[in-house]
Amino acid sequence: MKLLKRYAIILVLLGLIALFSVLSPYFFTQQNLTDIFLQQSYVIIAAVGLSFVMISGGMDLSIGYLISTVGVSTAALNKWMGVPLPLSLALGIAMGVALGAFNGYASVKLKVHTLIVTLGTMTIFQGLSYIISRQSVILNLPPAYRFFGQGYLFGFLPFSMVLMAACVAIGSFILNFTWFGRQVYGIGSNEETARLSGVNVKAVRILVFAICGFFVALAAIVLFGRSGSASSSTGPGVEFTAMTAAVLGGISFKGGEGKMWGLVTGVLILGVLSNGMQLVGLNTYVQYIVRGFVLLLAVGFDLLQKEGLAKSVLRASAAKAA
Amino acid sequence: MNGTVLSLESVSKVYPGVVALDDFSIAFRPGEVHALLGENGAGKSTLIKVIAGAIAPDAGHILIDGRRHARLSPHMARALGIEVIYQEFNLMPSLSAAENISFGERTGRLVSQRAMERKAAALFGEFEVDLDPKTPVRDLSASQQQIVEIARAVSRNAKVLIMDEPTAPLSIAEVEHLFKLIRRFKERGTLVIFISHRIDELFAISDRVTVMRDGRFVSTLETAKTTRPELIGLMVGRELKETYPERGRKPGGTVLELRGVTGNGDRDISFDLGKGEILGVAGLVGAGRTELAKVIIGAARLESGEILLDGRRVSIRSPRDALRHGIGLIPENRKEEGCFLDMDITWNISFASLRRISKGPLVGRGEEKALAARFRDLMQIKAPNLGQKVKLLSGGNQQKVVLSKTLAAESRVLIFDEPTRGIDVGARQDIYKLMDELTRQGSSIIMISSDMEELLGMSDRIVVIAEGRLAGTLEREEFSQQAVLELASGGTYKETAV
Repeated sequence: MKLLKRYAIILVLLGLIALFSVLSPYFFTQQNLTDIFLQQSYVIIAAVGLSFVMISGGMDLSIGYLISTVGVSTAALNKWMGVPLPLSLALGIAMGVALGAFNGYASVKLKVHTLIVTLGTMTIFQGLSYIISRQSVILNLPPAYRFFGQGYLFGFLPFSMVLMAACVAIGSFILNFTWFGRQVYGIGSNEETARLSGVNVKAVRILVFAICGFFVALAAIVLFGRSGSASSSTGPGVEFTAMTAAVLGGISFKGGEGKMWGLVTGVLILGVLSNGMQLVGLNTYVQYIVRGFVLLLAVGFDLLQKEGLAKSVLRASAAKAA
Repeated sequence: MNGTVLSLESVSKVYPGVVALDDFSIAFRPGEVHALLGENGAGKSTLIKVIAGAIAPDAGHILIDGRRHARLSPHMARALGIEVIYQEFNLMPSLSAAENISFGERTGRLVSQRAMERKAAALFGEFEVDLDPKTPVRDLSASQQQIVEIARAVSRNAKVLIMDEPTAPLSIAEVEHLFKLIRRFKERGTLVIFISHRIDELFAISDRVTVMRDGRFVSTLETAKTTRPELIGLMVGRELKETYPERGRKPGGTVLELRGVTGNGDRDISFDLGKGEILGVAGLVGAGRTELAKVIIGAARLESGEILLDGRRVSIRSPRDALRHGIGLIPENRKEEGCFLDMDITWNISFASLRRISKGPLVGRGEEKALAARFRDLMQIKAPNLGQKVKLLSGGNQQKVVLSKTLAAESRVLIFDEPTRGIDVGARQDIYKLMDELTRQGSSIIMISSDMEELLGMSDRIVVIAEGRLAGTLEREEFSQQAVLELASGGTYKETAV
């Protein structure tokens, strides 16, 4: 029963897959399922970054425009300024890390909630992105760039999926097995206790945002490689999808809890949902409504489950005491 | 029953696995101060909640003014004149004192700011407190917030006033003032039901005491006719011989020395702490004791002066530096500053020593488990297993977890800020024993406390802080409640009383 509760989110995913498999003959095909993964791979990579920030008790609204800024910068460096691709991409990642660290630094210095800080930097990144791209679309990214979004390893393994899996594994590893990961959870769970227990809270905050920037920059490269061209309007919106997925997957807004597999499941639920609804032929606006309700249901369920869990534990310990 | 304003008849309340109230009967008289005494888990909170209408009993009746009720709702309880002041205040922080007092009143007219303020000012005048009704509650101290709560209860014409550990956040002088107010309510015929873990307070204020144990009624006694050992005996069901461990050994050489420490509101504070010593720090709430602790551990800035450890000057700029030097704080607010409530016991205990038990970046799981198990045994933490979330532990066990976390980080100078606040008698004994044991093994302790008995019973020496300055130092031979109080109130008794 406990197991059932804990993995309910996976059951929801399986249920949705079963539902759409019945509703549409095109859904449960290898091609379609792979497509869902491919479409969502960059979201998952960005969400891995976001989960660091959220588990530490913060929020990052700027990741959508950070993707946009990093993406157009790599394209502009390579296509307009003739910088070799590997260097362009490396600079793009460095930019992601730097802008992420700036988010962290600003929230530490200004002492306001990261939601507000990143609301500001989101707008800054938006301006930055459009200035860099000169409001134009940079077409025909080189094949090596596209490989990140469209390429296959050994002819059958989509590279973006491999990268995604690696990101999830690395993120999960850092959060669960290192003392740094513990400190991230600690700050999210109770910042003051963490500080008094000897955690350099400011440094961890900045680092967490820098890590977020790193993963978001990777997501940008996958996304731009997939579309093959670069425009500043690519990227924004991801922040809300990633946030929704995080909440679906049990990463609390208050911080201090959540696991990576939950996050991945959350992204996949959203992916399956939009893909399935598309195949079934639901109107776009109806799709919005359904997505919204799914989020609300997930949150409500999460709440119920937590209360239930707390009660059953209390009951068990009370029984022991008596 | 004659002269009874409120009584309970055979009330029972069962939670899964626990009988919180077991066939409980009690009768309260108007105009008395009735103390409830019992260890944590004895059923005091459940009893209060039944009277306040917050929970419905499974069996039995509540009699109010001769009318029988099988259960009350919070609304009914209030209409019948029952007001409860819980430990966690029930005020709206952004609203002013006056607005809080009048909140929820239905006058049938528009709200008049001025009328509310007049009313609040009148109440504060009556209580002889100097408090601006316009001040937002979040800017008030704990004792001032409590005054606002009491004023609200009075403005609702409370016939029964229930106070759950009202003295916990108060300093000695503030407690005196509170007692003055309580005596005034008593004269008006208000029934005051008073809960406190501090037995000496019950003797100071109550007319009768009811002792509870395991949800059962044990006895109701006239306070004047009972004694402290008798009460403790009834509470725990056995006689407690000694409350405090035998101290009185000579501390070794100086470990920590403060020279002219200034910062965080404190000025020019100098004292030293010997090896194996328990140094009590007394003072009124707001005198700057917790603030001083924060300066010592680097959580607040040291503006001038110096801190010496083993005779060498050290620079401590963050709690991290302090822990590195072996100085750890066990904070006053366990839940907010001491532990991670949503995390399990092992996680909490290892948190401050993660680097030490890690190999490179990786947390050593085996070492971590061993560490947690060692401290569970050492501290006698009572929990089904070490995977238990800390929020599900009792206050005493939470305190032991916080202490374990600090000790695991190899601290040898421990600053305890109110070590036993909100902790029941049994667990208190454990904490005292641990403190004694630690000093025997060479640790040194600075113990900030507002509990007079604890200060006098545990300390080897007491320094008294008043208004951010060192008011004096007392050696064990000079210990007395009067001496501490005089130094703490330093001639400004009236002003700081509120």
